This record gives sequence, C-alpha cells and structure tokens, in this order.
Amino acid sequence: MMESSLEKAVESGVSFLSKVFPLKAYLYFPLLNATLFWALKRAKEWKKEIFSWKVWLDPDRIEAKPDEFVLDFFKSHTALRKAYEPELQERDMETLREVFARLYPILGLEDPFLSALFHEKLESNDFRTIVRDFEKTVGQAKNDIEACGDPPGLIRGLKTFADEMLSLNLDLISQDEVQTVLAEIVKKQLTDKDE
Amino acid sequence: MNKNPLFKKEMTGVQRAHRTLFLAVLFFCSLFFLPACSSHLKKAKFHYAQGQEYSRRYLAEDATASFKRALREAEFVVLRHPSSQGYMLKGMAELNLKIWEEAEESFRKAHSYGFEKGEEWAQQISLLGLASSLEELGVEDAPLRIYAHLLDRSKLKPVTIMAAQKYTDAELRKALQHEGKEREKLLASALKTTQKLSDKDLSCGFYHYLQSQVYSHLADYKKSFEGAVMARELGLPTEEILRDNDLQIIFCYRKLKEELSSDEWGDFQTRYLVWVKKWEWRGPETPDWKKEK
Repeated sequence: MMESSLEKAVESGVSFLSKVFPLKAYLYFPLLNATLFWALKRAKEWKKEIFSWKVWLDPDRIEAKPDEFVLDFFKSHTALRKAYEPELQERDMETLREVFARLYPILGLEDPFLSALFHEKLESNDFRTIVRDFEKTVGQAKNDIEACGDPPGLIRGLKTFADEMLSLNLDLISQDEVQTVLAEIVKKQLTDKDE
Repeated sequence: MNKNPLFKKEMTGVQRAHRTLFLAVLFFCSLFFLPACSSHLKKAKFHYAQGQEYSRRYLAEDATASFKRALREAEFVVLRHPSSQGYMLKGMAELNLKIWEEAEESFRKAHSYGFEKGEEWAQQISLLGLASSLEELGVEDAPLRIYAHLLDRSKLKPVTIMAAQKYTDAELRKALQHEGKEREKLLASALKTTQKLSDKDLSCGFYHYLQSQVYSHLADYKKSFEGAVMARELGLPTEEILRDNDLQIIFCYRKLKEELSSDEWGDFQTRYLVWVKKWEWRGPETPDWKKEK
C-alpha cells in the first residue's frame, strides 16, 4: 500500500519534472532524492513544530445593543428614518431590531463587502429589499467566492510533490528503503520514456 | 579564483549542468522551509491565520476564501490522519464560515481524540468553539457556563478575551429579554464581570470596550463614553470592533447633548473636540473611515 502510494507520488513527480526540464533527465533523481532526504530528516520535528503553532479565535463585536442605540441608528440616517417611519412611530422594536441586525453592518459600520454587494439597492435607498434578500444574497455571494491565487508552474508542482511525500508518513519507513524505491521508479520511468 | 569577466562563457557544459543542479536542489530544499508548503495541518493553520488577518482588516471576501482553503486542508487532515488539532482547525474554519452544525461536530470530535500535555491552548480553544457553535444552534445555558468557566480559569489572554465577549454579549441579550429588577440584576452582573476584567488588565482596550457597551445598556452615557475613549486609545482587535466603538462614542456624544446642562455640555464639547482632532476625524460625528455623504 505504502509502496504503491510512493510509486504514484514519484511518478507524478517525474512526470512534472519532465515538463519543466524536458532535456535534463539526469536532474530527476537528484531532485527527488533531495526532497526525500529533507522530508525524512524533518518529518518528526516538522510535526512537533506544526502542532505547537497556536491559532486562536478572534472576538466579535457586541451585537446586543440597547433600544436607544437602535432608535438612534434609524433617526440619524435621513433616508432610513423615512423608510421606516411607521415602525418608528409605533416603536415596533421587534421589526426595528431585525432591520438593524442587517443594516447596521452596512450603513453603520460600512462593511466593505456588504456595501459593495448591495451597492445598487443602497443607491436607490431600497432598504426593504436589502433586508428581505439579505440572507439569500450574502449566502450566494459567500458560496461563489472561490479560493484562488496558488502560485503557478514550478513552485506549485514541486509543492504538490513535497506535500504528497510528506503525507505518506515517511518517518515510518527508512531512508534507504525509500531511496531504493525512488531510484527504481525514476529509472523505470526514464527507460519507458526513452522507448 | 578566476576573476576573468569572460569566465561564464568559459564554463564547460558539465560545469553549467552542475551549477543548474546545485541551484535546483537548493531551491527544491528551500521549499521545505516555506511556511505555506508543509503538511496539510500546517497549510490549514496558515490559511486560517491568513483568513483571520483579512477578517481583522474587514476584508470579508478574502477572509472567506482563506477560511474555505483552511477548511479544505483541515478536511484532508482529518480524512488521512485524524487528530484533535485537525478537528479543532476544521471547527475553527467552519465557525468562521458560519457552518454551525458542522463546527459543533468538529469540536466535539476534537475533544473525543483528547489533547496531550502542552496542548491546553488547543483544548481551551476547542471548548470555546464548541460553546460558540452550541450557542448559535440555540442552546443557552451550557455555553454561558463554559464561557464563565473559561473566564474564571483560563490563563491564556486570547481565550479570556473571546470568552469575555461571548459571556457579556449573552448576558446583555438575556437582560434585553427582561424588564425591571431582573434586568437591572443581569446588567449589574455583566458590569461586575467586565469591571473585574479591566481591573485585572487595565491596558486591554477590548475590556474597556465591553465595559462601555454595558454602561450603554445602563444608560450611563458619561461612563460609556469614557470606556469607549479608553478602548480606542488602547487599541481594539479588529477593524469592525473599532468602528462599532467609534459609533458608540458618537452615540454617547448625541445622548449627552440631550442630557447635559448647557454649561456641562460646553465643557464636554471642548474636551470632545480635542479627541476628534487627535483621531483626525472629519467632524464630531464623522470618523475618518466614514464615507463622505
């Protein structure tokens, strides 16, 4: 199992290197071997280092605001005050709080993402539509955000190979064993290519 | 050493090949020292930390993309080599992406794998994450007890800060559901908690922010204003919190304008305008980050 995964990783490493250095086949073994050497040497301390790297959760702002703060938010914004005149007159705090929860980040805190997302509706002071479609629009936009920006070409290819090697738990097998497998696979790959 | 400028031209093919090989090996080996290219757990931590940085700067789009990348890496970790830290990171990414049910399950699994000695920080973060996701799923009492426990016991500042925010917000929400004496009691308790925190660490801006928020519920706008000014001066953890704090300052300014006698107001306004100038605001109600209307 371990051998076939290793074989696969080396094969893709060779295939990648043959694209980057098509006429320099002699580089494949030293390059892949150097990777393995470092992977083997560092695998254990690597894990220790990764596990001790601390990550935290950040606090949020306080969302529970007093009625007076909510009312002040509506009253200090002319177009908003006009749009919610009936609710303000009736002091309908339940509705006003629901609206506040969605509009305070946009009109109060000026969240750049939300302000851009509802730009058109904000231009036309169409606050009720923003509130109605808030969850749907924000949910859709967040789903559409794609992770991108991985460095292209060589670095990406080498990173992939290095990651695959590290994920094979190389510290469980000896350097000699891996080196032998690697040498055989690279040799086989190059022979197949020549034929 | 050959100092002939034409030396490069004189290199043989073999020498050139050796140099290329040396540089390639050096480059290849150096990849192992780059933070972003190690194991999937390290990658997950890297993307998570990056997401947090974006989030602190109020860049929601970039933050979401980074948290998604962190989640993908953490999913890979728990699939191949399940561990408490793998599940903890998965939960943290899910919490930031507001996928509450999955986050709750991840933090629960993180605890089931157990934490080793030296991983107390990860254990406390997982407990905090579990409480947060349970709270978002509508559970009320258990999360509050966890926050109180961490506030009381944790010696880790990032844990205490987060627990303090969650605890105060939950207490204030509870207070809003009540009237009269019950409300006063809950607000008094919230105030006591925040006072205790800022007494313990006077230089922490975030604790002053919390205190200012509680005073606002108590309609003590003078003290709320002072707390918010202290918070701004000492620094706050994220741009969003800083802006919320600025809007609290402006709210207090407006309320004090209604409340104070003309003499008191005159004194207050003079002092207030000094702060406005110091913070480089465009006016008493226009912080520097506010768009021109």
